[in-house]
Amino acid sequence: MKKIVLMTTALLMVVGFSNAVMASPEEDRQIFLNFYKERFPNVPQDDYINGVYAIDPVGRENWEAIEEFPPYETAIDAGKSMWDTAFANGKTYSDCFPDGPAIMSKYPHWNKEKGSVITLPLALNACREANGEKPLKYNKGAIANIVSYIAYESRDQVTNVVIPKDDPRALEAYEMGKKFYFTKRGQLNFSCANCHLQNVGMVLRTEILGPAVGQTTHWPVYRSKWGEMGTLHRRFKGCNEQVRAKAFKPHGEEYRNLEYFLTYQSNNLPLNGPGARK
Amino acid sequence: MRKTKYLGILVLAFILVGGIGCATASSDKMSSMKTEMTADDATAAIAAADAARKKAGSVSGEWRDTGKIIGEAEEAAKAGDFAKAVKLANKAKVQGERGYEQMVSQEKLRLPSYFK
Repeated sequence: MKKIVLMTTALLMVVGFSNAVMASPEEDRQIFLNFYKERFPNVPQDDYINGVYAIDPVGRENWEAIEEFPPYETAIDAGKSMWDTAFANGKTYSDCFPDGPAIMSKYPHWNKEKGSVITLPLALNACREANGEKPLKYNKGAIANIVSYIAYESRDQVTNVVIPKDDPRALEAYEMGKKFYFTKRGQLNFSCANCHLQNVGMVLRTEILGPAVGQTTHWPVYRSKWGEMGTLHRRFKGCNEQVRAKAFKPHGEEYRNLEYFLTYQSNNLPLNGPGARK
Repeated sequence: MRKTKYLGILVLAFILVGGIGCATASSDKMSSMKTEMTADDATAAIAAADAARKKAGSVSGEWRDTGKIIGEAEEAAKAGDFAKAVKLANKAKVQGERGYEQMVSQEKLRLPSYFK
């Protein structure tokens, strides 16, 4: 009898564990949403697009004051100028992105031909290279400007990351991003989830840890700490370095998959980039 | 009785002084060992640290400062401070080993209990 009970318990644990690991992307998203709903019952779901300011009323007051004279405006203007200026061969970004510039909600997406996740900065650089231009560096500067313009033009579009079912590699990429998110790394042995899920709302030194849902909707951002605009992958790099892990290459496979997983969790939320953060 | 008491104190004092002497000698010996590190020791320690760093990197587990510490070890070796070079290289080697173990131990995704 004891053996049967033990075997049944073990079986149930295995089944439970497999289910947890093999949850579908949509189930993952619901788990995230339910987690934050339980932790912050008074925060409306749409308010998560404001990142940490959805749960930090004092920080929100400061942020709203900053938003009266947005520090990212010059980046939008510079980005518009880039969009409108022809490459040396006479073509423009519009030739690569005929639906542009409001194309933010199309990224990141799975590219079946290339067998990888394509992010917006990656697509912009591919466009440049196809037209004989040098690719832009990924963390800051011109790339942040043009993505700011595209983000601004895409405001109020809705996050819509699709994981196509006709190519199992897309789900694999998502799962790799998920694994990255939950893997502890660096000398401090922290995962993304340790800060943005397990300890969300807690204070780390002087900063409140923000929720994962809504985290991708407002990029690029002007960060006061940087004193300039920066991209989402610059922030990924900063997070990894803060836990004393060696950062990965921006728009390399690791961060592309992470962006795919993380952006999926914000599906159905409006895009509101560019933004301003401390 | 009184004589025995003084004798006891004397013996204790000898033991104490002797102990301190030994400890000092041992410490001197250790520091002389440190200064006796050679360029070959430093080169070997740095190579071992770099191998550990690369091994960690092969599983995406390299830590932020490991490469920097190896660089500092190389600088110390160039400056002829081989003891410092070995000490830094050993520190980097441990980081490489821990980074590798950290990633290998998480080879399979295990979701935390709070994610359910």
